[in-house]
Amino acid sequence: MGIPAAPIVTIAFKDLAQSNCAKRGMPLQRISYTPHPVWGKTDEQMMAYLEGNDPVSGKPFMPEVVGALTRPLTADESKTGTVTPPTGAPTFTDTSDNLQQYFLDNGLTDTMPIIIPTQERVDAMLKATSHKPDEVVGHMTPAQGAFPAWSYTVQQVAVNAVMAGAAPDYFPTILAIASTGISALFSSTNSLVSAAVINGPIRDKLQMNYGIGAMGPFNQANATIGRAWTIMSRNLDGGGICGETYMGSQGNVINYSNLIIPENEKDSPWPAFHTTKGFKPEENVISFFFGFLITQGQGGKGLGVKPVPLYNVAMSANVAPFASLFGALFLLDPLVANGLGDLGFKTRDSLADWLQKNTTVTVKDVKSMLFSGLPRGPEAANLKDDDVIPKWPKADAFQFVVVGGQTNPYHQLANMSYRVSVSIDKWT
Amino acid sequence: MSINRRSLLSLLGASPALLAGAAAAQTKAKGKTAAGKAPVVGVPKIVALNPRGIPPPITLIPMAKRLDSLDGKTIYLVSDGFPGADHFLAQVGIWFQKNMPSVTTVYRLKAGGFADDDPKLNAEIKEKGQAVIMAIGH
Repeated sequence: MGIPAAPIVTIAFKDLAQSNCAKRGMPLQRISYTPHPVWGKTDEQMMAYLEGNDPVSGKPFMPEVVGALTRPLTADESKTGTVTPPTGAPTFTDTSDNLQQYFLDNGLTDTMPIIIPTQERVDAMLKATSHKPDEVVGHMTPAQGAFPAWSYTVQQVAVNAVMAGAAPDYFPTILAIASTGISALFSSTNSLVSAAVINGPIRDKLQMNYGIGAMGPFNQANATIGRAWTIMSRNLDGGGICGETYMGSQGNVINYSNLIIPENEKDSPWPAFHTTKGFKPEENVISFFFGFLITQGQGGKGLGVKPVPLYNVAMSANVAPFASLFGALFLLDPLVANGLGDLGFKTRDSLADWLQKNTTVTVKDVKSMLFSGLPRGPEAANLKDDDVIPKWPKADAFQFVVVGGQTNPYHQLANMSYRVSVSIDKWT
Repeated sequence: MSINRRSLLSLLGASPALLAGAAAAQTKAKGKTAAGKAPVVGVPKIVALNPRGIPPPITLIPMAKRLDSLDGKTIYLVSDGFPGADHFLAQVGIWFQKNMPSVTTVYRLKAGGFADDDPKLNAEIKEKGQAVIMAIGH
């Protein structure tokens, strides 16, 4: 822009700010720091920050900000040129135990032991795809727009797939994940989680579990495809460095292997999920979701009604506390999905429409919420505080996937939004 | 302003630990292992492939010329939209009124997400302002 700028950052983001400035070509950006947070502080507390010292430099804060705009530039601050970041040697040679330690020490794993990615193992993985090893698969960043995206080849994805313990047959699915550039370790302070729904015949070909315990640690394909996603999200984009490229305040255990959900198509009352996104039933597809959390849906209002529990009422009650920044992904045991069919919800759309109309909130409550927005447009102008409005403005905020082994009519729900569906077949 | 070691390493697209490890790997010829430990006699060595992707090259951007002073200047106070930044910048404006009254401050909320550019606001600042203070974070 050509105008001098002085960034002010709270100290919790110091490493992130400095490293990101460097990655964007301004390694000596004149950043001033306040204590953290500013959110929730009174005016008096904030003024005390301004009249106090920068906790990093120890210098008076506002004179430092003024100086950042007026102190003449140094030669280093005026530098031009190009820097090529190194990523280490192409191979590492050592004993198996020492390599385990080396990968762990260098932040190349999910901190769990890995399969050492030897050339032989990587070659076996590469045989599971027709794509050449040096083909660029995609671009990934820990947070879109915030960090420069890295690129990666088929071979680099294969190395990560081996590390995760994936069998070669899983590789096209892992390549499909990598092709989206979606990081499972999105750098937000919110400790976000990712999910991927798998549809098509590949679920049976890979012997994936979509029955009893589908989302638990009971199936190699379910587990290692998800684990590969996390390991890729550290290595293929420089992500997962706490304080720099990962900022989730509390973290999330789901990030270890993510939610990999093969849909139980054969026991569902509805056409397979991917057909609602324009794919044919015989196509192999992976669909992505992203958001805050997953929680159980038991004990809710309506579930005690006989003879058919009012699953839809329970779903509405359970989803009501969710932040409307993201949508809702319902994971329905086939017993629940079929029960909903018996209640008259013959399509996913009809259920989504009902939930959108019946999951409501007052305008006053919306105003008090974080991550929830009031309706916009002319119709919003006359809203009063006591008016009751749908919490989500559109029915497509609600998505439904059928999974589970029918041992009980349970459902889980995630405060997550649908992102995209991509072909797995393209990567065979 | 100094930059710490961690940031310098990040500039190179690598974690401090990785570069430390890479340095160790390069010393194998001197009798050390990839993990920087003494080699274990009789245990076979294997070759592992590097799992890292390809970071883009970094183009260094010279910082904008600084002002001689802020007297009589207009400074835009820009929020990136995270909670609290608006109230914080209001206090920055009050500080200037008290301590540097010749400075005019103009508050603006940047459009889009925190990482999105706002060309319309940039154009306004370039036309009407002489400097920017931007508040980032929670």
